[in-house]
Amino acid sequence: MTATTYDEHRLTPHSGGAWRLLFRPGFIRAAWMFCLFGAIGFGIVVAFRWWGGWQPLFDMQVITLVSLLVAGPIGFLAGIGAFDYWTYYALGFPTRAEDHSGHGARTWRDYFRVNTDHKVIGVQYLATTLVFFVIGGFLALMVRAELARPGMQFVDTQTFNGLFSVHASLMIFLFVIPAFAGLANFVVPLMLGAPDMAFPRLNALSFWLLPIAGVMMLSSFVVPGGAFACGWTGYVPLCSTHEPLGAVFFNQGVQWAGASSIMTALNFLVTIITMRAPGMTFWRMPLLVWANFTTSLLVVIATPFIAGSQFFSMFDHVMHTAFFDPNNGGYPLGYQHIFWFYSHPAVYIMMLPGFGIMSEVIAVFSRKPIFGYRLMALSLMAIVVLGFSVWAHHMFVSGMASWLRVPMMITTLLIAVPTGIKIFSWLATMWEGKLHFNTPMLFALGFLSMFVIGGLSGVMLGAVPIDIHVSDTYFIVAHIHYVLFGGSVFTIFAGMYYWFPKMTGRMYDERLGKLHFWLTFVGFNLTFFPMHILGTEGMPRRVADYAPKFAGLNMFISLASFGLGASVLVFLYNMITSWKNGPIAPPNPWRALTLEWQVSSPPPIFNFDEIPQVVGSPYEYGVPGAQHAILAPAPAREVEEVGAS
Amino acid sequence: MRRGSIASLVGIGLVAGGIAAAVAVALPWLPTPASREASRIDFEFWFVIVICIVIFAVVVAAILYSVINFRAAPDDMSDGPPIHGHTGLEIAWTLIPTLLVTAIGISSAIVLSNDDALGKNVLRINVTAQQFAWTFSYPDAKGLTSATLMLPKDRSVLLTFTSKDVIHSFWVPEFGQKQDTVPGLHPTLHITPDRLGTYPVICTELCGLGHATMRATAIVMAPAAFDKWIAGQTKAVTSPNAGQAGAALFTNNGCAACHTLTAAHATGKVGPDLDKLATYARKAGKPLAAFVRESIVSPNAYVEAGYPKNVMPQTFGTSIPKSQLDSLVTYLTTNGTQ
Repeated sequence: MTATTYDEHRLTPHSGGAWRLLFRPGFIRAAWMFCLFGAIGFGIVVAFRWWGGWQPLFDMQVITLVSLLVAGPIGFLAGIGAFDYWTYYALGFPTRAEDHSGHGARTWRDYFRVNTDHKVIGVQYLATTLVFFVIGGFLALMVRAELARPGMQFVDTQTFNGLFSVHASLMIFLFVIPAFAGLANFVVPLMLGAPDMAFPRLNALSFWLLPIAGVMMLSSFVVPGGAFACGWTGYVPLCSTHEPLGAVFFNQGVQWAGASSIMTALNFLVTIITMRAPGMTFWRMPLLVWANFTTSLLVVIATPFIAGSQFFSMFDHVMHTAFFDPNNGGYPLGYQHIFWFYSHPAVYIMMLPGFGIMSEVIAVFSRKPIFGYRLMALSLMAIVVLGFSVWAHHMFVSGMASWLRVPMMITTLLIAVPTGIKIFSWLATMWEGKLHFNTPMLFALGFLSMFVIGGLSGVMLGAVPIDIHVSDTYFIVAHIHYVLFGGSVFTIFAGMYYWFPKMTGRMYDERLGKLHFWLTFVGFNLTFFPMHILGTEGMPRRVADYAPKFAGLNMFISLASFGLGASVLVFLYNMITSWKNGPIAPPNPWRALTLEWQVSSPPPIFNFDEIPQVVGSPYEYGVPGAQHAILAPAPAREVEEVGAS
Repeated sequence: MRRGSIASLVGIGLVAGGIAAAVAVALPWLPTPASREASRIDFEFWFVIVICIVIFAVVVAAILYSVINFRAAPDDMSDGPPIHGHTGLEIAWTLIPTLLVTAIGISSAIVLSNDDALGKNVLRINVTAQQFAWTFSYPDAKGLTSATLMLPKDRSVLLTFTSKDVIHSFWVPEFGQKQDTVPGLHPTLHITPDRLGTYPVICTELCGLGHATMRATAIVMAPAAFDKWIAGQTKAVTSPNAGQAGAALFTNNGCAACHTLTAAHATGKVGPDLDKLATYARKAGKPLAAFVRESIVSPNAYVEAGYPKNVMPQTFGTSIPKSQLDSLVTYLTTNGTQ
């Protein structure tokens, strides 16, 4: 009938004693293979150093890098089973391309395996990124605790610099970017009418790279000398030659997270280009798919640049090369150019998927078609193109060629135009609609108002003279949080609530959701708005201590930040209890038209019993008789299963 | 749209804009400018703020109006009108923001070029940044160095930056201008101070563990007072009286930031107590004068127990002229006798 063949042996409990346990894919094999590969890495380094006659033989920097940060993680991936299929194939063992043994989740244990089901991977992504979100938030609260009063309170400056550096790295590389990848992983194939992603095994691998990156960045706290303390921007020569070993944990952590990003983006591109259901033309794709298409373009083109910048910085650190060492002909600003050539597009990598979520949520909860659909899609493309021409606006005071400033200012200001088009189009979508204020919609409205503030402070920063005054001050801290928290995180919350019924098959608690929204909205503004004032008045960022005249505002911000931190507990409580005990969700609680809502909640293992035929736009709310797609009626068996689960 | 709804939309917009404007005006946003550049930056800041407040008010008015007027009853299962777009509106909200950002771009470019344009009779100052201290030297005054940035009012000042280790950033909030100091490069920054006073010099680029302590002071003085200061300092550091010259050199080279020396009223605690130089010299087993000279020129040669290596800059041997170094050594040997 359909491709729901299962290899049952994978799903039944294993027998065969300790030997089987040791060799079957899983955490036990991952543990010993991590050690084995780490030992091999150690051996290679020591053998080469002995052969070359280099002293000291046991150089801990090189050994840590090769054995612990490169070879060990590869062993972990092999042990967990991410390479099994390809290894069997390469070694000539029998394999089937249509092997679905690692597909789908029947018990909670299947979420801790290498799983090739995009829906399981999406949930794995979201759960993992939420863990790092909580840890990253906790680090931020420690920063705020130290800053509550002038002078040094709880930590020394090494720890303090480590706290804000790891906070930013986790939030960017382990929360915002992969949380969007997780949501898109779950939703995009469903929206396209596809049974899965184009490369399910690559998809599984790209998820398992993430915990490696996160654990690596976190574990830098226990390395002798302390965590990397040069900020998430890792500017050289501070980060390359003046930092303890922890800096290498950042350099290499970024490589793992970046590799994960690139693989996922490639997967999205191929999936979106080749696996659209019949009739799903580009102009019939939901805007969330458009958003992830454009984001993936950015990731694939830009991410190799940050990989390069971190490799060069790390080589300067460990191997004493001189890419950025001015004493030996290196060029420190070269790092900044390469770094921002990724990290500015990264701002859009962290925003465009959120734009996609907003388009879905606002159209559905306004019961109206997206206003100006084509211009919405085209403005995404405009942001991609313009996004590559604005990187040096992070460097207006850096000492780069001064002629670059005005052209980069012009492109920076112009990129506000497509962003503005999107904001105005969402407002017009709501206009005269039938607005329903469920939690996703509340977060969407929160996003609209907060992101406008972040966008406008971005325009201010785009103007060179203003930027010269406020650059590297708390104004920047305020701006980035209005964009990445008021922007990205609000959309992630909106997306998580919106697709929660589809992912878990259960409804979340609406009252708790609304409470979470209001606590977040108020706490967020109380925390971050005063930072604008601190910055323009003269408080620099990344300082453990500050002038006494800023004491009042800092105490206020710290208190507000603890409230903001507490609001996350409401969210987590809601998610966990609703997943366990929430009311059973109907297939389409929001009466949405996009394809993921036309199948059961959670969807069948291969999404659609028959590939749907797409016949129209996904946003035809209020158009009598309009249809997005024609689906084969679900067979009775599926319905029963959903009801029983 | 009915006239009543336009009126209420405009009303909400005015309230939102009014609140935003009140926040902008009532809160102390920018420090009082102390340079012509800061005044121009302030103008640009408020020019952009006005545009931002208008846009913010429009968006918030649209959101609030929709929330109030288009709320559906919980049991209302109907859809809104199927409006797919409006070409005129879409052109409008593409063109108007383009015009606004163009205006911001043009005014910014004008402000930028005015801020960068040097005036007559430029005062050149070399600024050296290192972990975690600033040194200012005046090449026109025979290389006079100072740990405090002394500036004459109403004269064009061109700062040229050198970094000895990592990237730092020079910022005086009241001057508005900011510049990173990059090792290997010598970027410049133009300031025309126009208000007498004492202002903080702040490092704004994360430069290591002491980043938050990398502060200095800028003093804007009347031109006559400035000339007098230059003449007095030049005279003091070249004075044949080693005590007088040494005291000036001790202050100008920023020694007091880290060291204690009773004679100079210095109370720094980062480095060893210089009142006890004689004791340290005995421990190092060297004659006092030779020991002091060595400790200034190559500080790592002997490091007093309990203090880390590599904290004291190793560049004083080249930055302090020989004759001045002699005066400084004499001054220290005379006063560090404990």
